[in-house]
Amino acid sequence: MPMPRLGPMLGAAIAAAVLLGTAAQAADAEKPARRDLGPVDFTGDWQRYPGIGGRGGPPDPAALPPPATKMVLRPKYQGPYDARRARERESDAKGEPIAASGVDCLPYGMPEMMSAIYPLEILQTPGQVTIIAEAFSQVRRIYIGKPQAKIGDVAPGYYGHSVAHWEGSTLVVDTIGVKESVLGHSEMPHSDQMRITERLRLVRPDILHDQITVEDPVTLEQPWTFTFAYKRMRDYEMLEYVCENNHEYIDDQGVTHLRLQDQDNK
Amino acid sequence: MARNSRGHAPSVSLAAALGLGILGAGVALPASAHHSFALFDHQNRVTVTGTVLKFEWTNPHVFIQLEVPDASGSKHYTVECASPNVLTRVGWKFNDVKQGDKVTLLINPLRNGQPGGMLEKATLSDGRELSDGNPPAGVFPRS
Repeated sequence: MPMPRLGPMLGAAIAAAVLLGTAAQAADAEKPARRDLGPVDFTGDWQRYPGIGGRGGPPDPAALPPPATKMVLRPKYQGPYDARRARERESDAKGEPIAASGVDCLPYGMPEMMSAIYPLEILQTPGQVTIIAEAFSQVRRIYIGKPQAKIGDVAPGYYGHSVAHWEGSTLVVDTIGVKESVLGHSEMPHSDQMRITERLRLVRPDILHDQITVEDPVTLEQPWTFTFAYKRMRDYEMLEYVCENNHEYIDDQGVTHLRLQDQDNK
Repeated sequence: MARNSRGHAPSVSLAAALGLGILGAGVALPASAHHSFALFDHQNRVTVTGTVLKFEWTNPHVFIQLEVPDASGSKHYTVECASPNVLTRVGWKFNDVKQGDKVTLLINPLRNGQPGGMLEKATLSDGRELSDGNPPAGVFPRS
């Protein structure tokens, strides 16, 4: 009667035990009690509130964002800003719109990505909040409890460098280092000295406010504050967004056109 | 076949068109589009019926390439729709339109007269009517 080969069986048993142990450790690590997320967890998918065109039904007046303060540019910037708006109106009236930021298929960057033309997904993990905007698949990372770098030490980017701390149940986010070519909300011009302070808080279990204050000693006369509100989306799955098929293009006069499909490229 | 219809003036205010009239001044409006839609004639509508050459379920916009019979044989229309996100919210699926389908599209034509436009409403080959999902009256904020 052949004897069973104990060696391989023993090895398999040890491997199984190790795997089980590893799985148990992983499960422990996933227990909410061991994950220090801070006083509030913003994790979830969010859409602008109230919805465009009345989508989502009538809003709760008490949960609406407060009015924005006035954007006041320094005279050196106000003139070109007003001239640009006038040129846009004239070119739109002629049906030959001059180029706007969306036509080049580049991400909006900060703070405009928070305008959330399409949903935002917020992922909160220990020490970090990650915000993914469906539009242009934009991603920003906010480091909680880390010191902020000095302006000038951050390589300019679309989303800048963001750190945060908690004030009660409000997450206060500080962002610097946004590229000067990234136009702000309402196409506000900014310098490399711009600083964005956000105050994220739940005003209802399913309504989130992001109060955004933009300061720029070069382009702004005074801080500019506006608030975006968002409503939690249940069971939403974020859509892929790759800006791969832009038929709109800008000619050498800066005018936008629609590229028609080539008959040979059906 | 193409036909014109008038009486589509965007007479409502932007805020009203967006359902935001109650918010009052000073509220940052949602940016529904970071480019101008002034390429298209929002004062006029054209209905085009033809055969789908291609359905492009892509960002930043969905496109329907349509072969439309005319006196000279046929004309190729390029029709811009909203994005997959917006169309999904109003009931579209990526495979609702296929090459060879016969569809009727209500569009705001290109202002330069070229054969193309922006979708308002589609009648698909199975008879379903689907909107483009954008604010009414062709009013878009430029932001």
